[in-house]
Amino acid sequence: MSLPSERRPLRLADLVVLGLVGAAVAAIVSFAAEFRAPYIPAIRIDLAPAALPRYVLYSLIRGVAALLISYLFAFGFGLAAASSRAAERLLLPLLDILQSIPVLGFLPGLVLGLVALFPGRNTGLELAAILMIFTAQAWNLALSFYQSLVTVPEPMREACRLAGWRRWQVFRRLEVPAAMQGLVWNGMLSMAGGWFFLMVNEAFRLGNHDFRLPGVGSYMSVAVERGDRGAMTLAILAMIVMIVAVDRLFWRPLVVWTERFRLDDSSGELPATNWLVELLRRSRWRRRAREIRRLAITTARRVTRPIHMPFRMAPLAGTSVRPAGVAIRKGLVVLLVAGLAAGAAWGSWRLARLMTALAPADWLAILRAAAYTFARVIGALVLGTAWALPAGILIGRSPRLARLCQPVIQIVASFPAPMLFPIVVLGLAAIGMGLGSAAVVLLVLSSQWYILFNVIAAVAGTPPQLTEAVMVFGVRGAQRWRSLYLPAAFPGLVTGWITAAGGAWNGSIVAEYLHAGGALRTTEGLGSLISEATAQANFPLLAGGVALMSVIVVGWNRLVWRRIAHVAQTKYGTTQ
Amino acid sequence: MSAPSEPGAVLLEADRVSQRFTLPGGAALEALREVSLAIREREVVALVGPSGCGKSTLLRLLTGLIPPTAGRVCYRGVPVDGVLSSAAMVFQSFALLPWLTVRQNVDMGLAARGVAPAQRHHAASRAIDLVGLTGFQGAYPRELSGGMKQRVGFARALAVQPEILFMDEPFGALDALTAENLRAQVVDLWRDPATGVSSLVVVTHSVDEAVYLAGRIAVFGTNPGHVREILDNPLPYPREARSPAFTQMVDRLHAILTDTLLPEAARPEPGVTPKLVPLPRVHVPEVMGLLDSLARQADGSVGVFDLAGRLGVDYDRMTAVVHAAEQLGWVTTPGDEVTLTAAGRAVEAGGATERRAAARARIAEHPLFARVLGMLREGGGAIEDDEVLADLTICFPFTRPLSLLRTVVEWGRYAELLDHDAKGGRLVLTS
Repeated sequence: MSLPSERRPLRLADLVVLGLVGAAVAAIVSFAAEFRAPYIPAIRIDLAPAALPRYVLYSLIRGVAALLISYLFAFGFGLAAASSRAAERLLLPLLDILQSIPVLGFLPGLVLGLVALFPGRNTGLELAAILMIFTAQAWNLALSFYQSLVTVPEPMREACRLAGWRRWQVFRRLEVPAAMQGLVWNGMLSMAGGWFFLMVNEAFRLGNHDFRLPGVGSYMSVAVERGDRGAMTLAILAMIVMIVAVDRLFWRPLVVWTERFRLDDSSGELPATNWLVELLRRSRWRRRAREIRRLAITTARRVTRPIHMPFRMAPLAGTSVRPAGVAIRKGLVVLLVAGLAAGAAWGSWRLARLMTALAPADWLAILRAAAYTFARVIGALVLGTAWALPAGILIGRSPRLARLCQPVIQIVASFPAPMLFPIVVLGLAAIGMGLGSAAVVLLVLSSQWYILFNVIAAVAGTPPQLTEAVMVFGVRGAQRWRSLYLPAAFPGLVTGWITAAGGAWNGSIVAEYLHAGGALRTTEGLGSLISEATAQANFPLLAGGVALMSVIVVGWNRLVWRRIAHVAQTKYGTTQ
Repeated sequence: MSAPSEPGAVLLEADRVSQRFTLPGGAALEALREVSLAIREREVVALVGPSGCGKSTLLRLLTGLIPPTAGRVCYRGVPVDGVLSSAAMVFQSFALLPWLTVRQNVDMGLAARGVAPAQRHHAASRAIDLVGLTGFQGAYPRELSGGMKQRVGFARALAVQPEILFMDEPFGALDALTAENLRAQVVDLWRDPATGVSSLVVVTHSVDEAVYLAGRIAVFGTNPGHVREILDNPLPYPREARSPAFTQMVDRLHAILTDTLLPEAARPEPGVTPKLVPLPRVHVPEVMGLLDSLARQADGSVGVFDLAGRLGVDYDRMTAVVHAAEQLGWVTTPGDEVTLTAAGRAVEAGGATERRAAARARIAEHPLFARVLGMLREGGGAIEDDEVLADLTICFPFTRPLSLLRTVVEWGRYAELLDHDAKGGRLVLTS
């Protein structure tokens, strides 16, 4: 490898990188202006095609901002949960519950609180929208980071401690790299999950207030309300373009880059390459950026030397080193955990008080609605499994087909299903299907991918020797499916069911209560009850509905799914 | 290169240290009890003993990675509080960070010690040269073979010029040829004053390795882990593994290990109620394989270390298998010889059915199984795993109860005495 000369002409790669950076800066600046704009609850959405790119960018920036906050949350949560057994016992169930609360459960508190916090400015509403996206992104990231923290090999930690690394260094150079692959993969999932409620996040009714933010979600909402088919099609296309672009320009290169952070170093092959990674590698801005960063760090260090001098390591000849501030850090974690616990307790108390306003008749209505939605969720799982299980097995058993389909399915799965709901509902209505049963189809749309993905992964992960053995012994046709493919798919199927059920419950909120063909359509169910309670600002009913939904999801996970998952792992797991 | 002078002042000392761990189930496991050991300047100390004797735990206590439950560790008379800055360690699993290059891995300890960048570069290069990795600075660990990875491990340790270098089975994950090559280099590095390393502490599973490297060899016993004996090894460096003096020293260490691993007192005496001892965690085919190997000997007898060497098994694994066979009355162990008993010969000669029948009779009499079978009968033929585990925890406070339960299940199933119901999580009596 030759050293690049100091002076060389700008390469095309440099220009492209510069262009991308410039575009990002421009987009962020324009979005920042939107933040400081005077507060208008429901801005007028311009359905002209020319306005769409700006809306798409705004939505994208909200999603990315939410993702950044999600990563910060994941780091904090993971470190706190991994710090002690007591913290773990408290925080993991808390995460389970938070994960099960649909976004509308957070909506009124966030919107009313933040709008009141920034009177006269749009900041509050924007922050609320970002945080609502955050509530759909954060939890799996947090769990992923926590899991990789507790699985870092002990000798690696010991090596770092013996090297004298401080807590921050261990975090930055051991824990984050070790978690990197999981963080990126879950980031992709989170981003897709964040789009799901895009239309709700950007355009919603709360009591007699209409809230609307400029974005592709609100564009779609307005188009649907007006029944403007052209605008609807445009919004869907714009969304697809954005998802593909983000996937190609952001996630794919990132996935390639994280190859180097694999913990098992068994494989000798070099990381796969990607055109964007190559482009960035070739560009000299990358090296420049590194130089600037180094300069900044050394300057900062020089400036802060008097401050962190006392915490410096003991000199080499000293007896021992005690990492500075262990007691302080322990105290901070205890405080954080105690604060979270107190917050959870206070929240439950407030929730309980809020729900005392509900009459027994209200509870009866909530339970009835829950029964309807429960039936729809189960129906959606059955339907989803009916097509996704065989399809997943067919794709997963052929590595070539899996490689071919995976990227396509990933993109399709990232598309927020609710944007298609109005069209599907109109189509089904045309063949005489009411929303009561059409909602089941909508729930299939919002949950099927989880099943498909997990089945593909499980079948593709079958040890090749098993497949060979089955072929050697001449097991064919139905028997091969019974003895190999179905058992191999089962653990993945169960994981898929768990996430799909969660997705379906969540999806009921937009599937049982939606605008289509210029009219509001609803059908009885827990989802429509929650949506309606939000629209009417009936907070006790909203609290009751959300609480019941999260109780059902968490309870079902604990009592039913966990047992099936245990059987799936111990009996059908293929790691022998 | 000059030979280091005689061991000098005490550098690091463990003073009656004990270590207890809490198992996931909540039960406590005593890994070490009242262990005292001094590391002096300019010496190599090897820690040997069966698995589970707490050698690696003692290594971590000495480095300050974990604080002892009782007792204390002193560096030059000052109690160690936190990680010892004059120590470095080489791990069996290498413990290299896969996302850092060779140079960056070697640099790990230097950066944290606040060494100036220019000196850091120099120190890292020197360490890389010392272990013969010049030219590999930019490679990632996954591109290197096991032996090369461990060289990086050594370079990382040497880069900080540690006074004491700890090694936790440093050659355990390497093939025999690579291990021999690296072992010789370690002695050279230690004798080379340029490295600045004063003393080495090595945990090993190989008798030859201990004799080759160490000036003093601490032999550990189990239940709970303790130092049984310390053997002085005055052979001059560099050592010649085929010299008579070396062989003699190996034999002496064998004798001590035999005494520790196959103590005379453990043999069952007729007429005396046998003591409740845990069956070592060994598998049925291993014990049968031992009997087969012994039957092939002219007099049904062979030295346990010879046998281990011939079969390519760790001596501590070998002794565990011998131990189990002895508990079942199929072999005896006079000195470090293993001899087939009449009962053992009968089992070996029989077919699969006879073997199983013989095993069933012996296992039913084994005190541990007698106890479990008794519990099963009292429980009406079935008993929860948790109950058995609780009982095992009380009976054998120094053994991991879950691994003991697995052994009981395996041998019980082989003898068709009991079975395990994985779904219900309980043991059942085979009718």
